[in-house]
Amino acid sequence: MRRVLALVLSGGGGERLGVLSAERAVSALPFGGKYRVIDFALSNCCHSHLGLVGVLAQHAPASLNDHIGAGRPWDLDRRSGGVYILQPYQTRSHTGWYRGTADAITQNKDWIEERQPRLVLVLSGDHVYRMDYRIMLDEHDRSGARVTMAVTPVPASETTRFGMVTMDSACRVVAIDEKPAMTKGTHANMGVYVFEWELLREMLRSRPVDLVLDVLRPMIEAGEKVQAHEFSGYWEDVGTIASYYRANLDLVQAKPRLELHDTRWPILTRDEERPPVLLADHAHVEDSMLANGCRIAGTVRRSILFPGVRVAQGAEVTDSVVMADTTIETGARVSHAILDKYVRVGENASVGEGDGSGPRELDWLAGLALVGKDSWIPPGGRMRRPSAIGIGGRFEDFVDGVLPPGTVVPSRRWFEELPR
Amino acid sequence: MSGRYAFVLAGGVGSRLCLLSERRAKPAVPFGGKYRIIDFALSNCVNSDIYDIGVLTQYRPTSLNQHIGTGRPWDLDRTRGGIQLLQPAPSVSASDWYQGTADAIYQNLVHLKRRRVDEVLILSGDHVYKMDYNVLYAFHRANRALLTVAVTEVPQEDVSQFGILETEPNGRIVGFKEKPTGPVTSRKASMGVYLFDREALIRWLVEDAAMSASSHDFGKDIIPRLVARGEGVFAYQFPDYWQDVGTLDSYYQSNLAFCSGQPPLDLHDPSWVIHTQSADRPPVRIEPGANVRHSMVANGCCVAGEVYNSVLFPGVSVASGAVVRDSIVMHDTVIGAGSVLDRAIVDKGVVIGRGAHVGHGEDMAPNRACPDHLSNGLVVIGHGARLPDGITIGRNARVGASVVEQDFHAPVVPAGGVVDGPESMH
Repeated sequence: MRRVLALVLSGGGGERLGVLSAERAVSALPFGGKYRVIDFALSNCCHSHLGLVGVLAQHAPASLNDHIGAGRPWDLDRRSGGVYILQPYQTRSHTGWYRGTADAITQNKDWIEERQPRLVLVLSGDHVYRMDYRIMLDEHDRSGARVTMAVTPVPASETTRFGMVTMDSACRVVAIDEKPAMTKGTHANMGVYVFEWELLREMLRSRPVDLVLDVLRPMIEAGEKVQAHEFSGYWEDVGTIASYYRANLDLVQAKPRLELHDTRWPILTRDEERPPVLLADHAHVEDSMLANGCRIAGTVRRSILFPGVRVAQGAEVTDSVVMADTTIETGARVSHAILDKYVRVGENASVGEGDGSGPRELDWLAGLALVGKDSWIPPGGRMRRPSAIGIGGRFEDFVDGVLPPGTVVPSRRWFEELPR
Repeated sequence: MSGRYAFVLAGGVGSRLCLLSERRAKPAVPFGGKYRIIDFALSNCVNSDIYDIGVLTQYRPTSLNQHIGTGRPWDLDRTRGGIQLLQPAPSVSASDWYQGTADAIYQNLVHLKRRRVDEVLILSGDHVYKMDYNVLYAFHRANRALLTVAVTEVPQEDVSQFGILETEPNGRIVGFKEKPTGPVTSRKASMGVYLFDREALIRWLVEDAAMSASSHDFGKDIIPRLVARGEGVFAYQFPDYWQDVGTLDSYYQSNLAFCSGQPPLDLHDPSWVIHTQSADRPPVRIEPGANVRHSMVANGCCVAGEVYNSVLFPGVSVASGAVVRDSIVMHDTVIGAGSVLDRAIVDKGVVIGRGAHVGHGEDMAPNRACPDHLSNGLVVIGHGARLPDGITIGRNARVGASVVEQDFHAPVVPAGGVVDGPESMH
């Protein structure tokens, strides 16, 4: 029996996701109509028979705590092993925010040591992919490498999004460049590493901050054997609005690259009990994914609808991602938009009008309309894109019923509006 | 506070449901796009704060056992209380198989021995309704009743299918007729929901067990006897939707009622969730060119064809060019390209070949094998059957469970026809 501990790095707040990650970790972001992003890493662990998992959380940890709980959906509610959420904590001698990926592991060194793993499998909770980690672990043991890291081919046009890995003909890593414009590397670092715990523990003595910059790169430069494991399946980092939106909409392509219907590798999640989708007389739905609890009387095209979304008669949703329990009222139009949970789009309102061109500083919005949790778009209101409304948006955010392109409305705190 | 305990009678044979209950007890029959019939009784219990339940099974309990498991979906996997499946077992003192509903409880009286409850709730696992049993308890206690029977008003033409009660204005029951054939003055039907005083229940069951002439049934024997004796037996009139999905026709209609804009029960009510065992399935996928209207479609379905006025359970796939109309299709059934389903009830795991036509023509000849239950134009396809490409199946036909392509000897199954496979049990 191989003693493997999986560590899922889920501390990130996803600055480039705007209001979507204001109150949740990127790993807790809803994805694909009913999942959270971390479900992919946890389901991979479950199906790869890894029964001991630590989740390193920092930003908005409640979102992860709520979702993971005792780990039941992934059969991680176990007596030996199981899933643990590892948050930064204070001691008498130090206050311990995680300064980086390597530091997060260092601060949990005692916890890891108690579990006596031989191998530590480091994962990211922010990635969408289906991967059997056992293949990589086997390869690691066969190759005798000090570290094995998973890599995946990416087009040369996208190298600036990734850590690019250069390998020799025997798949030995010779360089890692962070987000380079020009590189010899053809493969992106997937953030999946197999470490020998003994070795990693030694490396952590010098208090490194970042796993790539302060641990892996010095090892490679010192000539240690760092092996690449090539993964050719679907893999996506959903850390930006553009990639989040694209990865969701990919699922309603004619032949989606990410297979969710494979009963041998189901993506497991904490499921609410909701009745089946109800499609009314005048419903028209095409190229879309709808989760249980949705009620549709209007038109839906090329969109992802999470549980409990309501689309009233005469309303139209196209090219959009709509999260749980959001309501689109009669005659309203939503296109090229991401609506968070509990949003209400009033009658005949329109969200996502326009061609999406806006000022450079709003490039992160990828031309979309982004609406935060609990916002209320006024009846007849027009939200033109690119634009964003923070959590709890209200009528006052619209001037004469219009939110012009290029607008970003900050979040409100719900209790500020309570009557005194 | 004393606790509460409920027995759920789940032994129902459901013979009028034809193939649907051939291999499963009636409470385990799929209903409403993702549920099983028993989910309503179990969810009512936990939503009414009753977390200690015994389920009595007898007829084909396997699918029920699998469905209920440890009771997780209902939060019934508990350290104290929870859910217990009570199978009949041979014993020294009593006869083994349950004779009637009262005998079933009598043989399980041991489960009341250490339970500190003042009342015992006895339910049927066969009915679809949402009921707060707290209201029943309050009514029962206010009347200082020894037994309270929940009743619902049924249409005049249906009274012969139910136990009909006559009551005084205060709710006291003064007359009871089980499935009356003659004229009756009341339309109050027993819902099979009984709240008994614990001591009285034990006394009455012991008394009944000693009577050799009794069939040991609550409806046939015990309640009429108590009413005749003038015991404190009351009727609680339940005002909302209640459905005994006893026949294929009522099963069909009550399922389709959920597709309408005004479903008989609000399944979306977050304060009264109907819980069920659901597998992890991805959201419904609706492909280009699909047209789905007036229907209920559960997670895991993939639809590329047309679906109208139908209920699709989890994992059903409808290929492009296929049309599903006025039908009920259970889990993981595959409907081939260009096929047509019209007024069909299709059980789980069925494969329908390309270009098949199920429910064809105007001929309404009743089914040869079960003319009483299958005469209104429905076609029933049994669990795991495989229908060949291009087959045509007439109205009121029945295709047995596990039938394979080779069992069809002609390209057309006429109206009222029967196709049985080696495993069919009729």
